[in-house]
Amino acid sequence: MAAVAPLPSGRVLACDGNEAAALAVALARVDMVAVYPITPQSSLVEYLAKFIADGRLQAELVDAEGEHSVLSVLQGAALAGARTFTATSGPGLAFMFEPYLRTPGMRLPIVMSIVTRDTLTPQCVWGGHQDAMSVREAGWVQMYCETVQEVLDTTIIAYRVAEQRDVMLPVNVCHDGNYLSYGTARIELPEQDAVDTFLGAPDVNWHAALDPDRPMAVDPLTGGPAGAGPATFVRYRRGQCAGMHRALDAIRDAHREWARLTGRNHAPLIERYRMEDAECAIVTLGSMTGAAKDAVDEARAAGRRVGLVKVKTFRPFPATDVADALCKLRSFGVVDRSVDFAWNCGPLYREVVTALQGGTRTATSQSFIGGLAGADLTVEHFQRVIETVGQMREVAGPRDTVWLDAQE
Amino acid sequence: MPAYNTIAFHADRCDGCGKCMIACAQAKSASDSPRRARLEVLADDAGRFELTMCRQCADPECVQSCPAAALAKNAATGVIEWDHDKCIDCLLCTVGCSFAGIALDEAAGHVVKCDQCGGDPACVRACKPGALEYLTMARIYDEAGSLEDLFVQGLSACQGCNTELIMRHTLRRVGPDTVVAAPPGCVPGMGAVGYNGLTGTKVPVFHPLLTNTAPMLAGLKRVYKRKGRQVTALALAGDGGAADVGFQSLSGAAERGEEILFLVIDNEGYMNTGMQRSSCTPYGAWTTTTPVGRESHGKSQDAKNLPLLMVGHRCAYVATASTAFMADFYLKLDRALQASKTGFAYLHVYSPCTTGWRFPSKKNIEVARKAVESNFVLLWEYTPAAGLRLTRSVDDPVPLSEYLVALGKYRHLTPEQVAHLEQHIAENVAAIKRHALAEAAAPPASTRPGISSAGALQGPPASQA
Repeated sequence: MAAVAPLPSGRVLACDGNEAAALAVALARVDMVAVYPITPQSSLVEYLAKFIADGRLQAELVDAEGEHSVLSVLQGAALAGARTFTATSGPGLAFMFEPYLRTPGMRLPIVMSIVTRDTLTPQCVWGGHQDAMSVREAGWVQMYCETVQEVLDTTIIAYRVAEQRDVMLPVNVCHDGNYLSYGTARIELPEQDAVDTFLGAPDVNWHAALDPDRPMAVDPLTGGPAGAGPATFVRYRRGQCAGMHRALDAIRDAHREWARLTGRNHAPLIERYRMEDAECAIVTLGSMTGAAKDAVDEARAAGRRVGLVKVKTFRPFPATDVADALCKLRSFGVVDRSVDFAWNCGPLYREVVTALQGGTRTATSQSFIGGLAGADLTVEHFQRVIETVGQMREVAGPRDTVWLDAQE
Repeated sequence: MPAYNTIAFHADRCDGCGKCMIACAQAKSASDSPRRARLEVLADDAGRFELTMCRQCADPECVQSCPAAALAKNAATGVIEWDHDKCIDCLLCTVGCSFAGIALDEAAGHVVKCDQCGGDPACVRACKPGALEYLTMARIYDEAGSLEDLFVQGLSACQGCNTELIMRHTLRRVGPDTVVAAPPGCVPGMGAVGYNGLTGTKVPVFHPLLTNTAPMLAGLKRVYKRKGRQVTALALAGDGGAADVGFQSLSGAAERGEEILFLVIDNEGYMNTGMQRSSCTPYGAWTTTTPVGRESHGKSQDAKNLPLLMVGHRCAYVATASTAFMADFYLKLDRALQASKTGFAYLHVYSPCTTGWRFPSKKNIEVARKAVESNFVLLWEYTPAAGLRLTRSVDDPVPLSEYLVALGKYRHLTPEQVAHLEQHIAENVAAIKRHALAEAAAPPASTRPGISSAGALQGPPASQA
């Protein structure tokens, strides 16, 4: 092997979220990367292609002819035992949906960044969570990042969670198009040794392999009107649900271990920000959280008892943690960067309300939708949210969703 | 593997004189009675003749059935030899044989079978019309028995289906260090990919999406190559998945030169899902989505020429084959396998569908042969270095009607529709000839990075079977 410049591990540097994700993939010593360009993800895979071209990442690179094939390549590679990565956005994710839907059932620990983008139509290339939210029931673990540093750390953590033997599920690391994909920040790179210790060797196809040394039929037809078929199918489904549920603990443990190795302590499932003695709260997802925290700080400085809950892990949904954080409040508002068309609210709002069912006390709540199509969610937006939530009193049936960017 | 001989029977030349049986009885049993012969010519109700005789099978059921190891295939001559000293007279061999090639000779008191008279069969000498012929077999028939059948017994293909024939011979030849991917279609439909926890294949097998066979195999193959392991990535796909919804991913993998052996079994439609139209369905054909009624008369477009499109990708190897020309198929399979070690190899095998094309199951090989003889199907091969060349002459075809008349799916054709098909075939022949001429006239093709010049493919030209 020719001497090549090593990755700048163990250093501080400035980069955007796409480069941070690429650096994490290199540090995770991924075996196979399949790529297809799409905004706002393209620079991420360009970084990876360059790392491989320069010999800084010893991985196979497949420049596939579309996202559908990208994920198909990774499925084949994973069934041959490889640690794999790709990234996509919006329409690319939609085109990938057929193999995407199949990946969790095969329990393949593929890691894929969704650099989030609003979906068509109207035609749109800017940020929003609608793409990732549209696939939320497919069975992938989904974690949303707040900062560039969290993109890097979470992408490494994702491999540990995905390959944990009692989980074995694919993981989406979601980071906001535009705001995290192109936003540059100071980050600390972990040491390669620390990452190697944290992840260990790839452990990908012990359960399902296409390997002449241990021949098996992977994913044969399963089902039928009666008998062993449907019962086998149920066993697979229940196993998948159980793996998903265990991912909550796996994510918690992995974050704890990562903090021990690097000193960086990200909240694994939800983060409670200034929630001590809070009467009301904002619930956030992704990069909007920074501005929301500033708004909370201002409100606190003005003597208002307001806090914030950031949901990081959206799939599986940390219902117990969310309910515990919110159940004693008087009121809260959930800010979504996407739309739940069926319920005319934000999807995170619906999840949070569902998590609170069965509790003895239900806080008054409100869905806010903003930041669609690349719009900035500013401190002013969150001041409005805090204002609205602070004035809410009795539960008075469904409240109309507040559209933060509506010009009425 | 030595080239074995066999005694072939040309029923159309037989006049039923019975001299072969008498010659055999004299040579082997010192008797003039045809009942003591080791072969028998029988006439059916229509006056056609059949031969019962030992075929010296490469994969002999009689040997497998024998509990006393009294039967064994001689590796040097290919003859299945019977050992009187070991035989326990249980007659299980006579049950195992599908050709009545071994039978009890009551006068002798034990089973008897043909031993080819040590290389100069008396029956052949006695046959004046030339209905019996002593000839050397194509390699496929000799070799098949020494290679393990890597599909399980009892795959549930339709009666008379040739796809099973293609699959079994292919995987035997490609061998155990293989991963098979069979997208939805007849191959999984007959149980190859397994069902409720069982598998139909003795090598690793996967049932990919209809749309992603080539890229999933590409990912797998790249990883094994990285690991330094020799694993063949074999696709057994249908024409619908390859030419229609899976065409993008097939094209992408071919363009990248992924090292895959991609075998398409073309039965001209979505036969597994109930005989719907694909882009490989020929003009005029009835299918369940191109029905025949007052307003429409079968498919109104010509078939897509998928193998020629693959030539446009400059694959390491592209060839067409037919189940009626197995020796030709087998040679092309060898070349495709070799080419798949350095690039994308594409093999397009025409396989008539007894169920979907509406013809009696026993006529499958006959239909396949007529398709080739009438130029409805053209047999050729291509490498970037040698270009495209016909492997069977397209001159002097039999009339198209001889092919069409055999198939229910063309029963409704008007004279105008037949003329359209004839015109299409003429254009096809002209296009392939142009390709072949252009390739012959062109300077040696340069090679793409990562794709060998396919020099390893040199060998005798694929001759007609």
